[in-house]
Amino acid sequence: MSGIWIIAEKKEHALELLTIGRVLAAQMETKLSAFLWKDQNVPEDYIACGADEIMLAAPGSEGQSLDAFIPVIAAEAENNHPDAILFAATARCRDLAARVASRMNTGLCSSCTSLAYDAADRTIKMERLAYGGAAVQKVICKTRPVMVTIPPGTFEQAKAEAGRTGIQRELSTPAPSVLKVIEKKTKVRETKDITESRVIVAVGRGFDKKEDLDLARKLACALGGEIGCTRPISEENHWLPEELCIGLSGVQVKPDFYLGLGVSGQVQHATGIRQAKVVAAVNKDENAPIFSVADFGIVGNLYDVVPKLLEALKRV
Amino acid sequence: MPTIITCFKWVIDEAYIRRGSSGDLDFSAVDYKISDYDRNAIEEAVKLKDVHGGTVASLTVGVPEATKGIKDSLSRGPDKAFFAADASFNNLEPSQTASLLAAVIRSFITPYDLILCGEGSSDLYTQQVGPRLAEILQIPSISFVQKVELKDGKVVAERRVEEGVEVVEAPLPALVTVLPDINVPRIPGVKDTLMASKKPVVTIKKEDLPPFPAPCMETVEMKAAKMDRSCEKFGTDTAEIARFVDVLRKKALI
Repeated sequence: MSGIWIIAEKKEHALELLTIGRVLAAQMETKLSAFLWKDQNVPEDYIACGADEIMLAAPGSEGQSLDAFIPVIAAEAENNHPDAILFAATARCRDLAARVASRMNTGLCSSCTSLAYDAADRTIKMERLAYGGAAVQKVICKTRPVMVTIPPGTFEQAKAEAGRTGIQRELSTPAPSVLKVIEKKTKVRETKDITESRVIVAVGRGFDKKEDLDLARKLACALGGEIGCTRPISEENHWLPEELCIGLSGVQVKPDFYLGLGVSGQVQHATGIRQAKVVAAVNKDENAPIFSVADFGIVGNLYDVVPKLLEALKRV
Repeated sequence: MPTIITCFKWVIDEAYIRRGSSGDLDFSAVDYKISDYDRNAIEEAVKLKDVHGGTVASLTVGVPEATKGIKDSLSRGPDKAFFAADASFNNLEPSQTASLLAAVIRSFITPYDLILCGEGSSDLYTQQVGPRLAEILQIPSISFVQKVELKDGKVVAERRVEEGVEVVEAPLPALVTVLPDINVPRIPGVKDTLMASKKPVVTIKKEDLPPFPAPCMETVEMKAAKMDRSCEKFGTDTAEIARFVDVLRKKALI
């Protein structure tokens, strides 16, 4: 037996995995199975969107942690020998994937950005970023199953097709984990989601104090955009909330126009703006790394340049 | 009083990696460092000791040259260090690192109460070693933690997830991986460095450990990420600023 499995907690992530799962299953001439939690999911939706088989796990009880399902997933995989298991790279699923991979003595490609089946040597070639985004690492997994975590947003969501059929089966209920979730605090978003912003003005260490961020806000307003920041601004100075932190371990943005103010351009941050159409930067250090990843750079003190920019923009 | 183990990786400082002419990576001018988030793990271990007493041991697996990292780790506050050193402990993948760490912990640092790791290493950032280590040791693990406390034989941690924060509780021994914003790691001073050289270091040879597994993964290519930008520079006088704004206007960005 063989197959491609997908595992995700949220439907939108599962549908993204079904898209790439469908491609792999067709190329490898095998079936596509989706592992779902029974409570929140309508299995037929996933069958319509490409799954040939649904494995229904018992719903997680209140306070139950996902790690209770490690033995369930591992036992199913040992009995059914999937070729590959694709997980959504969300916090809980990344953790789950690493523990399942360890239990099964197999490899796991974390935060995979692209993957393709190579029929010539019958391997799945997987790409991911390394060294803070400075490098692209291409890996294969020599053990079975091949395990992968895929960040949300990497693939389009699969669409339903009429007339698809599939089978469903229920899995055993796991023993509760010793790990208990005792409280959930849902984040109240204070700011707009900048992953969809068309224009972003990013704030870096070049700012001397929190009040000065008004300069960046004014410029963002004049450009019709939002502000974002580098990690030190949110993490060390706490001047802006962490959901505005752009970078490999923050949010990855794809605006038409990115303007960095006093941003040095360390590789982790630069990775987060890779998909921006146009990148511009203002920095007083002409050797700042940001200039090598920017289309347009102004070498100058932001406190001098930003007022001039605001003035020039008024005349447009 | 708790025994806390804090694991770290001695990694290439990615800021020194250059892009070679053919898109390869140039490591000729690199320096090494304790992986960024592992510094947060060490700091958190020492902070917990300040509250609860006990001992903190730093632990790494690596090539003999990583001994510099051992000294660095001790200058950040742990009482002692364990160093599994061998020339073959190079380019280990997460399954191998976790297996070696588990072997050292079982043979040399048991019993223990809490293991702290960074959420991922700053070189390969696979975010696997912590949870894999916990799985091998068959202890609970809590990843992506922004706050951690020890209470009545339990660890209580705030784990950051997509929807917000989960407060999670697990019996000890347990493993926690920390986020970078859990604390601000100290910068060791001269006195800390001097004190570090007096602290005990247990060096463990490959022969003292069970054989570690063969790699599951193979890297078939590692090349510099492409960031093709036009890199045009502008000055700061009024004419240059006007030219800059004009370029943006022509690109229909404003």
